Amino acid sequence: MSDDDRLLELDDVDAYYGESHILRDVSLGVAGGEVCALLGRNGAGKTTTLRAVAGARPPEVRDGRISFKGEDVTAMEPEDISARGISLVPEERRVFPNLSVAENLHLAEVSENASNTVGRSLGQVQVEHVGMTTEQVYEEFPRLRERNSQQAGTLSGGEQQMLAIARALKQNTDLLLLDEPYEGLAPQIIADVEDAIRRISESGTTILLVEQNAVAAMDIADRCYVVDQGSIVFEGTATELREDDETRERYLGV
Amino acid sequence: MGPRRDPVDDRTKLYACERIPNEHGGEGKFTSRIESVRSGDGSPGRDCTDSEDDRKRLGGDGVLAEVLTVFINGLQQGAIYVLVAIGLSIILGTLKFVNFAHGALYLVGTYVGLLVTLEIQLTDGKLAEWGFTSIGLGWGFLAALVIVPIVVFAVGLLMERFVARPFYDRPDTDQILLTFGLAIVVQEVFKILFGGQSYNFARPGWASGPVDLPIIGAFPEWRLYVIGITAVLVAGVYALVEFTDFGLVVRAGTRDAEMVELLGIKLSRPYLMVFGVGAALAGVAGVVGGPLYAVNPNIGTEILVPAFLVVVIGGVGSITGAVLGGILLGETLAILVAVAPQWSQVGIYVLAAVVLLARPQGLLGSEEVTP
Repeated sequence: MSDDDRLLELDDVDAYYGESHILRDVSLGVAGGEVCALLGRNGAGKTTTLRAVAGARPPEVRDGRISFKGEDVTAMEPEDISARGISLVPEERRVFPNLSVAENLHLAEVSENASNTVGRSLGQVQVEHVGMTTEQVYEEFPRLRERNSQQAGTLSGGEQQMLAIARALKQNTDLLLLDEPYEGLAPQIIADVEDAIRRISESGTTILLVEQNAVAAMDIADRCYVVDQGSIVFEGTATELREDDETRERYLGV
Repeated sequence: MGPRRDPVDDRTKLYACERIPNEHGGEGKFTSRIESVRSGDGSPGRDCTDSEDDRKRLGGDGVLAEVLTVFINGLQQGAIYVLVAIGLSIILGTLKFVNFAHGALYLVGTYVGLLVTLEIQLTDGKLAEWGFTSIGLGWGFLAALVIVPIVVFAVGLLMERFVARPFYDRPDTDQILLTFGLAIVVQEVFKILFGGQSYNFARPGWASGPVDLPIIGAFPEWRLYVIGITAVLVAGVYALVEFTDFGLVVRAGTRDAEMVELLGIKLSRPYLMVFGVGAALAGVAGVVGGPLYAVNPNIGTEILVPAFLVVVIGGVGSITGAVLGGILLGETLAILVAVAPQWSQVGIYVLAAVVLLARPQGLLGSEEVTP
């Protein structure tokens, strides 16, 4: 991968939670169109990396640079980063349990609608992938249509994951950040989510995926990074990682 | 207001004067108010004028009339509490900001309303010293009903920007110290400017008299207007929260502000609006309550305690809860004032304590703003 292809690039990023030094000189790149997986044990720094990219605080990025489409986004507010085409589907989905499915989905439109009094204009920012309409989302995830008036808090874990992904897809998203999309899901549901991620990828959206379930992640990832104690310890294709027994056993336990 | 018409018995006077004993602050003041009516020097249009004009039916129409009167009085009292408490509740629920200066917005609403409605004579305070013997626009009550919410909305925006916002991430105790201090400063500024005395806020001409209600008989018309205006405003706020994108963002943001921002929605503007709307409602409460109660610099801090009780009873962040809590508190007060006035002060705290023992989060409390 040449540097020019990189949609997202982290250069020697050091990030802290309070005084705890979580990410140490993390450098990684995600090329446009690929599915990239960030793997590692619990507490290795995977979620911190995604949060840093999305602009969530904490962590505090004290050193290094995060750039998206060549633009430095390190110190930007989350809403400005979102406006540039990065969507985070966070750990534990974080759908709004007090809102209906339809309201959860509509919320994604509020931020995009330039004429809306609540959201803000995206201004000059160019996002290639225009968000799906509600109708398209419902076609992708028929379960959500069935439950559109139900409160999101009453959905099953799998349905909530679908809703969280659908919400992200309704936005103009060039880079989708998925944090543990398989967490707590039954194998059958994992297959459904996997299908959804594949289709999203085929539509051209770039995906950076964080998973503890390394086997499932390697199934859909083009390239993988392995992070351990806040540092990148492996970079390569999914095939290379599959063949690297030592790395897998040492850092992933598989 | 017309001159005194009918002689009224002492019980009626007592009743009329004790509508909101919490504003009178205790037995001593109670007595002095009652005396002032007895001796006939309660000036027309002041907080005790109902007894003269409107309450002559007492003793005539029996128990049902009495019960209904108490009920409507309770509703009216509750309406004022609801208007103040909604803002307090949604600001606490959404922005997690404890605003002890919310009563100051009521105070500002009352004084601005007074000055828009009437031209008042100043006898005390710095303004009088500086040579302003009379001040006010005299545009009438309808003008005040339009202008005051706008003015207090703006005051609310300023309060959010310069007082609340820098303290959002600070502990509750810091917020309380700050806002309580601000409430006192505002109160003292008004005292310095207008003097400590009570002003006479006459009711609008079109609603100054009694109206004939079935069973009850003559009833002060203005009180019905207060209930009606409150109902319309509450319905409006409910619709705003339930049916607009603004409300959607507020409800979502109350639950998970970070996720809302991660979705690309800037929360500072909706938060500013929440503060402004809450402030405007308190301002309206000040205008519609002005003709019912005394107008003096203490009313802001005096309304704060019952308003907080309403929030606690109804549940933080719930609009319906604020309405329920307000009505419950208003009715409790009205009933106690009618049957056991000496217990009315204690009664509202007992009510709050009982509700909290049964439901610590309040009647309809949850973590998010609900319509």
